[in-house]
Amino acid sequence: MSEELMTETHAALLANVPGKASAVRRTYFVELVVLGSVLFAATGHLLIKSGLNSLRAAGLPSGLVPRLMSYAFAPAVICGLLIYGIGTALWVFAVSKRDISYLFPLSALNYVVVALGGSWLFGEQIPATRWIGILVVFGGVWLMQQWGFEESQ
Amino acid sequence: MNAMQMLWSSIFLGGIAQILLKCGVRNARVSSGEKLGHWALRLLTSWWIWAWGLSFAVATVLWLLAVSQINISYAFPLLSAGYVLVAILSRIFLGEKVSWKRWAAIVLICLGVVLIANQ
Repeated sequence: MSEELMTETHAALLANVPGKASAVRRTYFVELVVLGSVLFAATGHLLIKSGLNSLRAAGLPSGLVPRLMSYAFAPAVICGLLIYGIGTALWVFAVSKRDISYLFPLSALNYVVVALGGSWLFGEQIPATRWIGILVVFGGVWLMQQWGFEESQ
Repeated sequence: MNAMQMLWSSIFLGGIAQILLKCGVRNARVSSGEKLGHWALRLLTSWWIWAWGLSFAVATVLWLLAVSQINISYAFPLLSAGYVLVAILSRIFLGEKVSWKRWAAIVLICLGVVLIANQ
């Protein structure tokens, strides 16, 4: 067990009622950072997508370079990339705190957020199998943070 | 490289990128009392982090090239192979203990991703 996790556990111990030290409460700080990272990354994706959609609707210039230029200067695309960058920074922080085999599967929540956001923003239909998939991913993520947490640094 | 090769290269490189990132942050641990901004700057001088950024960028370009030729609903579930790959690589190169409980969660998440992509 690392020093950091030791201090974390120690703090949790101190926060508990004396005599109930066996019931160590874990903190969910890193998991919340992962959730934040997923939300920022998905928002970035959706913004980039909506930027590209409106460019396409307005008519794209022909030729690779002018087309890339129109992508690069679209405000929604720039905002999307910046927000995606914040998500990435949060991810780097989370990875410094926990096992990668524990954290990486949690990032599958990204697909859930994009599926839900896509239906909300772009009116994309969510078929029944996709709803089941969303629930199964939630189940897997819940199982991971519940079961897979041990020795995760 | 054909589209399927690009797709699998993208998935493989994306998995390797996560391992490189973990190596980078492991080597550049936050020392006690260090400011987060200083730690972030220190990360930028790490070769591991640059290797992560590069492989992540190449993986993204390969993905975009692949899905411009392959139906996205076919390509998308294959991304979940990345979770299995990262678990195996983390065990080999980082010495992480991947318990059967973690494997169970990974299998469930992969199944969910496949169902989300299915139409």
